[in-house]
Amino acid sequence: MKKLFGPIIVLTLLVSTLPAQKAGVEVPLRFDQYHSLDRVYAALEALHKAYPELTALETVGKSEEGRPIMAMTVNNPKTGAALGKPAMYVDGNMHGNEIQGGDISLYLLDYLLGSYGKNAEVTALVDRVCFYVVPVVNVDGRHHFFADPNNPSSNRTLRIPIDDDRDGLVDEDGGDDLDGDGNLCEMRKKDPFGAYKTDPEDPRLLVRVKPGEKGEWTLLGEEGLDNDGDGQVNEDGEGYVDPNRNWGFDWAPPYVQGGSGEYPFQAVGLKALAEWTLARPNIVFAWSYHNNGGMLLRGPSRKGLGEYPAADVAVYDFLGKQGERIIPGYRYMISWKDLYTTYGDSGEWITQTAGAYFFCAEVFQGESEAFKGVSERDEPGTPREEAVRGVFEERVSEKERLKFSDNVVQGELYKPWKAFKHPTYGDVEIGGWVKMSSRLGAPFMIKDLVHRNAMAALFTAKHLPDVSLEVFEVKSLGGGLFRVRTRLANPKAMPTMSALSQKNKLYPQDMLTVSGPGAKVVAGGTLVDPYRDQAVYKKDRPELQFTVVPGFGKVEHQFLVEGRGEITVRYASPHGGLREKKVKLD
Amino acid sequence: MTLRRIPAFLSVAFALSALAILVLPGPAAGQSPSGTGPSAAFDRYHRPEEIAAALRDLAKAHPGFAKAHVLAKSPGGRELVLLEIGPETAAAAKALPAVFVAADMDGAYPLAAEAGLWLARALCAKADLRTDKTWYVLACGNPDAAALYFAKPRRSDTRNARPKNDDQDDATDEDGPDDLDGDGLITRIRVKDREGTWMAVPGDARLMKKADGAKGEKGVWKLYPEGLDNDRDGQIDEDGPGGVSLGTAFPHLFKYHAPDAGPWPGSEPETFALLEFFDRHREIGLAFVLGGANSCLAPPRGGRKGDADFNQIKVPERVAGFINADPTRTYTMAEIIELVKPLVPPGMEVTEGMVAGFLELGAVVNPLEEDLKFYTELSERYKEFLKAAKLDGKRLEAAPDKDGSLELYAYYHLGLPSFALDFWTPPEVKEDKPADELTPEKLEAMSNDQFVALGEEKVDAFLKAAGAPDQFKAKQVFEMIKAGQFDTKKMAEMMKQMPKKPDAGGADPKEKALLAWSDKELDGKGFVAWKPYKHPTLGEVEIGGIVPFADTTPPEKMIEGLVEGQAPWVFEVAKKMARVRIADAAVKPLGAGLYEVKAWIENTGDLPYPTAMAGRNQRVLPVVVTLAGDGVTIVQGKKRSLVPSVPARGAQAVTWLVRSAKPVKIEIKAETRSAWRDSRTVALGGVQ
Repeated sequence: MKKLFGPIIVLTLLVSTLPAQKAGVEVPLRFDQYHSLDRVYAALEALHKAYPELTALETVGKSEEGRPIMAMTVNNPKTGAALGKPAMYVDGNMHGNEIQGGDISLYLLDYLLGSYGKNAEVTALVDRVCFYVVPVVNVDGRHHFFADPNNPSSNRTLRIPIDDDRDGLVDEDGGDDLDGDGNLCEMRKKDPFGAYKTDPEDPRLLVRVKPGEKGEWTLLGEEGLDNDGDGQVNEDGEGYVDPNRNWGFDWAPPYVQGGSGEYPFQAVGLKALAEWTLARPNIVFAWSYHNNGGMLLRGPSRKGLGEYPAADVAVYDFLGKQGERIIPGYRYMISWKDLYTTYGDSGEWITQTAGAYFFCAEVFQGESEAFKGVSERDEPGTPREEAVRGVFEERVSEKERLKFSDNVVQGELYKPWKAFKHPTYGDVEIGGWVKMSSRLGAPFMIKDLVHRNAMAALFTAKHLPDVSLEVFEVKSLGGGLFRVRTRLANPKAMPTMSALSQKNKLYPQDMLTVSGPGAKVVAGGTLVDPYRDQAVYKKDRPELQFTVVPGFGKVEHQFLVEGRGEITVRYASPHGGLREKKVKLD
Repeated sequence: MTLRRIPAFLSVAFALSALAILVLPGPAAGQSPSGTGPSAAFDRYHRPEEIAAALRDLAKAHPGFAKAHVLAKSPGGRELVLLEIGPETAAAAKALPAVFVAADMDGAYPLAAEAGLWLARALCAKADLRTDKTWYVLACGNPDAAALYFAKPRRSDTRNARPKNDDQDDATDEDGPDDLDGDGLITRIRVKDREGTWMAVPGDARLMKKADGAKGEKGVWKLYPEGLDNDRDGQIDEDGPGGVSLGTAFPHLFKYHAPDAGPWPGSEPETFALLEFFDRHREIGLAFVLGGANSCLAPPRGGRKGDADFNQIKVPERVAGFINADPTRTYTMAEIIELVKPLVPPGMEVTEGMVAGFLELGAVVNPLEEDLKFYTELSERYKEFLKAAKLDGKRLEAAPDKDGSLELYAYYHLGLPSFALDFWTPPEVKEDKPADELTPEKLEAMSNDQFVALGEEKVDAFLKAAGAPDQFKAKQVFEMIKAGQFDTKKMAEMMKQMPKKPDAGGADPKEKALLAWSDKELDGKGFVAWKPYKHPTLGEVEIGGIVPFADTTPPEKMIEGLVEGQAPWVFEVAKKMARVRIADAAVKPLGAGLYEVKAWIENTGDLPYPTAMAGRNQRVLPVVVTLAGDGVTIVQGKKRSLVPSVPARGAQAVTWLVRSAKPVKIEIKAETRSAWRDSRTVALGGVQ
């Protein structure tokens, strides 16, 4: 593989100046092409310029190659500071080739900001909650995916050099764009002893020969050279440390699970992002956009971690089922059970360390590029069969996708085989699926994908906790003693602290306090049965109560207060915000 | 340092060079204001900042071969200073292997930190210890916790100074210990309480034990740490200063969500710096962790749950199709390797590590059999070494290595021969045991038949005395032995791992030993006698108990003897490191300018290259063997031939077919990062 070190540094310098104007990105943003990294940066600048009062744009940290990882905060300061509101965190493009997340993030931002003041639902939401959006986590990956020759699945990882073939040389034999078309396609060679022959239905495709049949082709794998002369082609390419296996919860070394890196948070950008996230304890829910398959995944990511508490599962089920309706075809699934086991992924980290809820959306489904009329579709199986089929089988044949490419985008997704003189293999042919295909939908479908996925996140944001505080009774019990009853209610799905966070004591519960210059709280606790006046009084410091406001519910407290005059009831919660009420004892 | 204190086994040369340092001190030697210069004596414990200063002084005094690195700053503002000693301090990339020594990661073993400092000084003093390798010495790995030994009041806590809201309330670090009796020590409170579960040990009323109602005992006391309920929440000392226990904050078997673990392994500046350091310094080929555990005296323990059994592997259905395996039966690792071999490209080696990763067999949690061989062998040598140093007296067992420790990380994740080494525990109390009583040691030496011949009655008594569960009877044991499921060795091993049974009076054996030590050697200063005190919330109480650090830290007068007698074991093991050489190379002319070239790559060390664990986790690279000569083409074999492992004292051959039109010289090189390198020139044809 050719080394691109010099150009990388030049590009890095260019990128850091964020040439918004030069890239010509304007608000409202357009979603008819995927945004290159430069255009993502330019779009963020443009959004910030158009909506300076509602947005803050900042650098979370730098990547391995020094590119900034940008975050945009959407918050209306007139309704309060960002940290005082429940927050929705959204990120995308953790894997370099899974670029849709960047575009979905931009769409969500553009939609929220553009609809503010015009659409009542969006206006109310933006006034109530805060959004933290990191469109591109793997900035080096996105940059190189666009700039360098690739295939749809290459360039996923972080730019941390790893000696994959363990020969003492690092990243010395990656793929090579031999025909210079910007794609790393496949190589094949005419070979009467080969295992493949031309597919009689489509000469571009190959089929395996049956026993006794004469062969025609040998497949030589990805386009490339044996750069290090070790007899293998493309066996030690860029990386790899997988950005979704290097997080600091339930991390396992690479011999247990490939790509996890030398130690947790070896990746400088991920470490910066983790620290940035932890500095925002108001994050209640996190979405991460990957591709592909059409899945809304929740944890746990490994069976051994045990199922989440039932109260949390209920929240996921409610949101997940609604997500399936907002994005037709997507399935709400459990990561370890319905997909596969992972260690050290970002979702489990944010769930178990930062105490948020988490969905990973695997966006885009190959079915959307099926070339089948209504009458030609397979009968659907049971939901479970469908789910398994979706994950482990190609739901759309290569043949169908080729027809889609031919007839719907005029052949742009596939390069026909072309002769090439290979230094090792001699006369070969190069051809196959181009970089911008397969896991990436054709550009004309981008808008539908980004809209539906952003709306699923928006629905979730509507169910961030919305706590109200009410003092619903002040009753004199005689002798200067008063009974004060408070109610904390929440009409949304999410409680102010997940059951898992409570179990693992990730941070203090919400605090409810009663105080007044002429008052002393003699007893205080949770009101269990208002009709029989039963409360569970807290033994020490009754004026301070620790509590969690459930989703779709309420929690009531009772205080016995001695004294007179005004008292202040104050509620403070990282996920529920601040509420205060003053009442008189008389 | 004086000649008298130099251990006998060290050579005269060491003595002379040490003497030379005494006579001709370097510019800064011995002049440090703290009195901790390179020649300072080991007659007291040094504060973390004194140790850091001493390491810096050594670097200043020996700029030619010593260099101080500041790896990190602790949350308490203390620098983590690492001293590099060796011939390559000026080079960023090292050609020579290195030994890494970390001391007192727990911050609870001041003696280990002294040993670290002693090693740093000895390495600076004696040239031949550092001619062919680099040493990295971190003499105080947890400076925040280590500082507590010197603090007033003295208390023991293995956590660094990261602020942490332990009790999840509205304040952080607001309810720590208070020295109520003003004796400068944080001990314990006992208070008479109807709900008490503790009682005084019959026979020694200073010690406490849990009352056993079944034996007619009644609890009298409640126990608390010495302190107040500063935050009025009904608990005492539940949120003192302190965050993360660094000694258990590394990735192997890290305990997520444990109160003192920190949010992730490597979350602290001190631990993260070490993870980074090991990654950047692949020349490290051996690791020592000086502290409370000891895997030199007894091989590291196994028996943890969770290891995959390589003799009974089930292949998941999803994978079975790929490798032509039957998902309903079990395979041995060797069988699966045979199944996989035809599926990989020619020339690619199928390793256990590769298969284990592919089949998702999970992390290794027990030392691998192959590696236990050198651990066991070295433990025998270490016992002899201690005997020669007259430090082999019976003492309490060292602490077991803890999950999340640096020593386990170094073995399981870095694949290094990794040793924990402790320096002192209180002497074991001699129990008056009848001469014919069965002990695990005696059991180990017995044959199965001899054991069965003892008879049921005697064995039942032994099992009861050893604290075996009631249903575990001699009859069953004999049957298992007859069935070949059990033997005396296994049983002895099991018995050794059983928690030490309280003595007849019910005292914890460790506390009892400490008390005996305190009475005999410390004039009773290891224990604070219970004294009445009026506590603001608990009322009439008594304060007393074991003095913090008394169980880990012997009197200052013992430091020098213990350290000088034991720490040099590190040098002995370093001599045994794997050392890769080209033993021989031969050329066989085949005619027409074609030659067969064969090189034997040998390991002249007593440790394998690499460990079996490194073979499994693939972290240590193979020996890379290259061949080059003017106009020579390789006909068969590789430009870079990879030799994955060379056993201790073993050899592996590498063969090439090469072609050269003219007689030329070729150079063969064998390279490693952590076990040296070698080259050899041989002639093809008639070259002289």
